Amino acid sequence: MSLIEWNDEFSVGISAVDHEHRELIGLINELYANLSGGAPEITIVDFLGELYARISAHFALEEKIMRDRKYDQYEDHKADHERLLDEIRDIMDDYDDNESFSEEILGERLKSWFSDHFKTKDARFYKHLV
Amino acid sequence: MLKWFQRVGRRGFLHMEAGFNAVFGPRLNPLYHLGALTFLFFWVVIASGIYLYIFFETSIEGAYDSVEYLTYEQWYLGGIMRSLHRYASDAMVLTMMLHLLREFTLDRYRGFRWFSWITGVPLIWLVFASGINGYWLVWDKLAQYVAVTTAEWIDWLPLFNEPMARNFLNEAAISSRFFSLLQFLHIGIPLFLLLLSWVHIKRISRPRVNPPRGLMVGTLASLVVLSLLAPAVSQGRANLDQVASVIQLDWFYLAVYPLFDIWSYGGVWILLGGITLLLALMPWLPRRHPEPVAVVDLDNCNGCGRCFADCPFGAVVMQPRTDSQPFAQEALVAADLCASCGICVGACPTASPFRRTSDLVPGVDLPQLTIREIREKTLAAAAKLSGDDRVIVYGCDFGADLGRLEERGVAVLALPCIAALPPSFLDFVITRKHVDGVFLTGCREGDCYYRLGIEWTQERIGGKRDPYLRKRVPRERIDMFWAGPDRSNQLAQKLDEFRGKLRELGPYTKPRSSHPEGDSRWNDKGVRNVTDRME
Amino acid sequence: MTYGGVYNAKWLRYIAQAALYGLFIAVLGYFSVSPAYVHLPPDQALIKLSFSHPGQPKGGCRERTDEELARLPPNMRIRVVCPRERSPVFIELEMDGRLLYRDTLIPSGLSRDGTSTVYRRFPVAAGRHHLRARLRDDVQVEGFNYVREADITLKPAQVFVVDFNAKSGGFIFK
Repeated sequence: MSLIEWNDEFSVGISAVDHEHRELIGLINELYANLSGGAPEITIVDFLGELYARISAHFALEEKIMRDRKYDQYEDHKADHERLLDEIRDIMDDYDDNESFSEEILGERLKSWFSDHFKTKDARFYKHLV
Repeated sequence: MLKWFQRVGRRGFLHMEAGFNAVFGPRLNPLYHLGALTFLFFWVVIASGIYLYIFFETSIEGAYDSVEYLTYEQWYLGGIMRSLHRYASDAMVLTMMLHLLREFTLDRYRGFRWFSWITGVPLIWLVFASGINGYWLVWDKLAQYVAVTTAEWIDWLPLFNEPMARNFLNEAAISSRFFSLLQFLHIGIPLFLLLLSWVHIKRISRPRVNPPRGLMVGTLASLVVLSLLAPAVSQGRANLDQVASVIQLDWFYLAVYPLFDIWSYGGVWILLGGITLLLALMPWLPRRHPEPVAVVDLDNCNGCGRCFADCPFGAVVMQPRTDSQPFAQEALVAADLCASCGICVGACPTASPFRRTSDLVPGVDLPQLTIREIREKTLAAAAKLSGDDRVIVYGCDFGADLGRLEERGVAVLALPCIAALPPSFLDFVITRKHVDGVFLTGCREGDCYYRLGIEWTQERIGGKRDPYLRKRVPRERIDMFWAGPDRSNQLAQKLDEFRGKLRELGPYTKPRSSHPEGDSRWNDKGVRNVTDRME
Repeated sequence: MTYGGVYNAKWLRYIAQAALYGLFIAVLGYFSVSPAYVHLPPDQALIKLSFSHPGQPKGGCRERTDEELARLPPNMRIRVVCPRERSPVFIELEMDGRLLYRDTLIPSGLSRDGTSTVYRRFPVAAGRHHLRARLRDDVQVEGFNYVREADITLKPAQVFVVDFNAKSGGFIFK
């Protein structure tokens, strides 16, 4: 069972963003599966690193779209992106230091991380686009 | 042999620049802004020229008198305008020559830079033509000399049926119509000069056409002071029935003129023609060995545009997607414009050392030094370090020689430009504890060989330019000293100071997590370095 | 560093900057007008030989016969037809018995039917001189068909022009 199920509600109406959201969800799910399946930590670290880089690229693209459309809440949204990236780095470092890092906690953290940002900031932006 | 000239010239300039850096500081060093200063003087010439033109009488009889009026009756404004017009034009020649000389010593005229150099060659001719033409209009003895001599010189070329110099045979010969043509040229030629100047700066992004404020103010002020101390004056009314035998020459524009008497008109044509031809051919004498250009990997490029924003040479453009991925755009590197500096790689969000090795292909990469290689070299060099003040020094190919620093027990890695280093590398080496601190160095501030490297690096670390260095990375573990190629001793000293600070700081500890639940998950089970085992 | 030390250092920099700006404007100010250049030594004057004169047609004019005229369109029936080519102009300028200049001036134009022009400068000592200018503008003539001689007194730096205008009668000394 995957951690996050894609829901059509997640669609924001921009195919590029949807595509990346889907990819990221896929990566998170794969990571979660590996974690539950007891994969070596090196693999987990790899996944987290890959996720981090992909999310950075995704945020970069979102920010470009926002700038192009002159989104009025750009500064605020970007600040949230930066905070989220810091959080992911926290998650990565916590995992590095902590062998018995519970996968449920990680799963919950990732899931809530994704949903919170998505339900609030992203939702506002993409509603704004319509 | 070319390298010898460049080396000698480079050393000469470095000495001068060091002197100016000590006095002005690198941000305001006029030698780092020669092109911008030339533009500044051009603006002054244009502005003052417009003012002068309002009062200038366009007839042969009225020309001299109208200029005399401005110089004496209106000395407080028109006179100053006239002097500014003259001295700014002189200064323009000075900075233009220094500028081209400097770019030659820096080898910034071959390869992809050929366009900037070639478009500069006609600019030289146009600047001189404008100035000489301008002196013609005052119709004083200097103008008379310039008129007759220039006309005779141009007549050496088989251009006209009747020699142009016949217009200046004697007082009876000169016509108002011809004089009007000269005035028209004095607007036309500078206008063309302006147009070509714009073309000259087309292939760089954010071209500097204004020097920094402090330098601009100082330079303008000194020109005004000069205009007050030594106002430009005419040399007596022109009289074509009398030879202008002793001339107060403006050597900036007319240095070549005595050669007409010493040699011949033809000789000077050959000399100047030869120099022009040589300048025009220089980008290919010899051809520059082409370097591999940046390469885009579409699987890792989503069209975020950061590389496009950061490229100092406009070599990266965004274009509609050509693969089947649903992104709107992709990056494209124009091979003939690419400097191979790697600044685009430093901007790319997927150029992250945290990634899976097997996937570590960024959206844009330099084939001669890939991100994967940079990570490998970083880890290899850092692994050799020991102690509590382990430092890796990232530098550039045009800054101080890093080899000497290796002897001091630090890891070193040189990149084409310091801004080719993605900020995530700083995060990586510090928070994974491969080193205790990172030291950045490169060219002299204000003199980045690739124009924007130092600015971009500082802004990325300062959280002002994407990609930001994560705030949680402790800035006290990062230091930088923009040494340039000739301050190795100071660089070593700064490095030692930094390492002393690091020893006092102690080992890196993770910042407290921002997530509320994170704290209770900490388990100080000891430090592990997972990355060492990455394939 | 003491407060006084910092204060001094800052002012020292400003003074040094002012000195460098001063050097800059000194260089500008000086070389903008000096050193003076002596284009013509003070004891010399300048003779300019310059005119623009069409040589006579090379000749060989002939009259067309009536049959030839009949063959031509009505608007082109001119009786006398001459070749377009003009004679080159042969010029000689002597001063005080010494030859200053001699040349054959080719008419301009692809068909050699334009004017012959000359522009030459001769720096000479100021003072009294005897000038003789001779010209031939017709190949069918022997010797020179235009001659002018005169005694002239040249003041230092004076520009003396030797011009030519057939309508005014020949050489013009001014």
